[in-house]
Amino acid sequence: MRERPRSLIIGGKAGEGVKKVAQVISEVLNSLGLYSFQMDDYQSLIKGGHNFSVVSFASDPVFNSYAKAELIICFDQRSLDLHRDSLSPSGSLYYNQDGTLETEGIGLALSSLMKETGVSNVSIAALTIFFAHYGLDQDLLYTAIRRSYKRDVEVNLLFAEKVFGLITLKGSLPVPKPDSKPGKLLSGNQAIALGAWAAGLDFYFAYPMTPASSLLHYYAARKDLGVYAIHAESELAAANMAVGAVVAGARAAVGSSGGGFALMQEAFSLAGMVEAPLLCVLSSRPGPATGVSTYTAQEDLNFALHQGHGEFCRIVASPDSFERAFTLASELLCLAWKFQIPVILLTEKHLSESLTGVRLELSKIEAADPQTPESPEDYKRYQISSDGISPLLFPPADQIIKWNSHEHLESGLRTDQAEAVKAMKDKRQRKRAGIAGATLNYQRVAKYGSGHKLIFAYGSTVLELREALKLLPDEYSIISLIYLDPFPYHELEAFQGSEALVAEHSQSGAFSRLLQEKLGLKTIGHLNRYDGRSFDPEQLAKQIEEGFHA
Amino acid sequence: MRSLDTHKENSWCPGCGDFGILNAVKSAVTNLVESGIPLADFCITSGIGCHGKIFDYLALSGIYGLHGRAIATATGLKLANPQLKVISFGGDGDSLGEGLEHTLFAAKRNVDLTLILHNNGNYGLTTGQFSPLSNLGYKGLSSPTGSIERPFSACGLLLEAGATFVARSYSANPKHLTEIISKAVLHKGFSFVEVLQPCVSYNNTYRLYNEKVKALESTPADIYEAMKLSKETENIYIGVFYETQAATFNELLLGESNPARDRKSSSERMAMGLL
Repeated sequence: MRERPRSLIIGGKAGEGVKKVAQVISEVLNSLGLYSFQMDDYQSLIKGGHNFSVVSFASDPVFNSYAKAELIICFDQRSLDLHRDSLSPSGSLYYNQDGTLETEGIGLALSSLMKETGVSNVSIAALTIFFAHYGLDQDLLYTAIRRSYKRDVEVNLLFAEKVFGLITLKGSLPVPKPDSKPGKLLSGNQAIALGAWAAGLDFYFAYPMTPASSLLHYYAARKDLGVYAIHAESELAAANMAVGAVVAGARAAVGSSGGGFALMQEAFSLAGMVEAPLLCVLSSRPGPATGVSTYTAQEDLNFALHQGHGEFCRIVASPDSFERAFTLASELLCLAWKFQIPVILLTEKHLSESLTGVRLELSKIEAADPQTPESPEDYKRYQISSDGISPLLFPPADQIIKWNSHEHLESGLRTDQAEAVKAMKDKRQRKRAGIAGATLNYQRVAKYGSGHKLIFAYGSTVLELREALKLLPDEYSIISLIYLDPFPYHELEAFQGSEALVAEHSQSGAFSRLLQEKLGLKTIGHLNRYDGRSFDPEQLAKQIEEGFHA
Repeated sequence: MRSLDTHKENSWCPGCGDFGILNAVKSAVTNLVESGIPLADFCITSGIGCHGKIFDYLALSGIYGLHGRAIATATGLKLANPQLKVISFGGDGDSLGEGLEHTLFAAKRNVDLTLILHNNGNYGLTTGQFSPLSNLGYKGLSSPTGSIERPFSACGLLLEAGATFVARSYSANPKHLTEIISKAVLHKGFSFVEVLQPCVSYNNTYRLYNEKVKALESTPADIYEAMKLSKETENIYIGVFYETQAATFNELLLGESNPARDRKSSSERMAMGLL
């Protein structure tokens, strides 16, 4: 058992800069050599409502945020009402006493001070409280404000100085270890974006949908990467444009959440039929339909595994860490281009939008390049081959390169002829063996812990479990499935018929059923959370213990 | 120049207006190649329906895509390699039914490509149901007592959406159609060509068109005049209704660069020091 990470919660209305200030705090912690995990809980509205961010931090890696906090800062009454009970016994609660009912804790007249100094951004107070509470250098605070808040710098600094004077030193930050390397502060979507870019991504096509939108925003903002971010008229347009870009030789990706993916299904099948390499990022939120827009879920496992109509090969894999998000995005783009198939990177809001230090494993990046023809003279787009892969050539070329959504001949011309239909279906199907073999070169399953009590999970649930295991004796192991299709039988052989707990963010237990079907796993308990929220590691640790003692 | 024919057996009905379009496209491409555009630069996309079969009859590179999505696919192609001369073929359903959004958005964005609409006023390949361009009262399997929907005006819609080149021609006027297609391909920006295409099986409009089709004497003075003339029914005008110059989507997005040609390899990216 290791030291329990500390946590802080900042709560306020949408538009008050809660998420931004939490990010500035994460940056400060990161620069001090501390590990952090930031989870933003927000609603689907622009102003008002209630937003809060949690930052959990420690001198060791932090895999998930906690529900209880030792520092809580509330800008309004609703935040106070919601978070008061999350305060740990020795913790401190700061609140804006203007406009709120008096409560236990440290009330500050923030609204009055804002009026007095002419400040419009209350979140500067949260940053200041954090600095003063932990006894951090005041100049460092001013530097952070200057760097992160470009508007109203002078009044912000004046406001910060006044707030600083009201706070007495209450705590101290963990001491970073000498070999501490928390890595680059990134969200999961940013890690995915960078991994795909490094492997060669040229275009990202999407229609905005939370929690995938930040991929589009990131590529649009990061002009230096040179990935063209195309905000299309619909998901249908995005996916079909992506296939068009692929035909011209560009590496393309699409991304959305479940609803947007439902709209892309036909194009996903198109990619299967025309053999278009296409990276698809599916970031889940609770469904069905519009569901719960800004929260997390793992309801789309079967949807991803069975995406599209008709029969064709695909790969579905899910990153179980932020580091993996980076490498998996690269890996999947490479596999897509090697086998000319659509691939799905399945993730959730919890990974997509949370923020942590990520150590990018640059040595794992490969180039997403296709097989090219040896003798382009008699080029045929769909040349029959023993491994099912037909080399790629792109226009402009003297050869005629025809891609076809109908069943086709080797030339790419349409066919209905029985033998030709069968031959082309068999050609595509032959890729399956190659895909299974090629994915063996990558880590398809990860094991965390060395105990004999097994917990199966995938995606960001693995992060929640890893944090929970820190609070438990060394009796447990997490079996994390990174690859879901092809199913990693080889690595999981040893667990045939084992007894285990299964943790997932699904009501119906889709992952548990998959394990039962593929592996004959005997599930002795389900740790299912399906209210859109992530697991609290402390609660999860209890549930794990109960699960094995039941 | 090599032949533009493929060995695919043609399965259009004898007398179909699509033959006129196929021949005009071949003539236009031949003329354009003779005028200096490399044959290899031509790329085509098509949707699904009778019109889409043109993909199989033209020895040009491209993609025979999904119903309704040929314009989106064409947009992706053009953005990835703006050197390509992209011609997209659409039927009534592709361009103005299932794929209406893509057509309007391609016009709105002024993507530099050409859309040839095979307007046969019905859904031929699926046995002649009414289409977005069928007249009120059109009788088909899904409207046995006559369609209760009014038709779109294709050119009017595209003018409103922002197409920078809008023209109409007639499949039975090969010379006119060839000229219009050539102009459309040479136009920098989104060019739209509505081709009046009789469907001999379900909507035989040869007599109507032979009677009413009139060539415009000159390009209408402005977009309002273009709109008015394109919607007239006493005379059905063919010719260029509207042509204007505006920055293209691909230029605004890409500047001088060509993503497919200029792409950085993975190792070049890793050397950029951005990670």
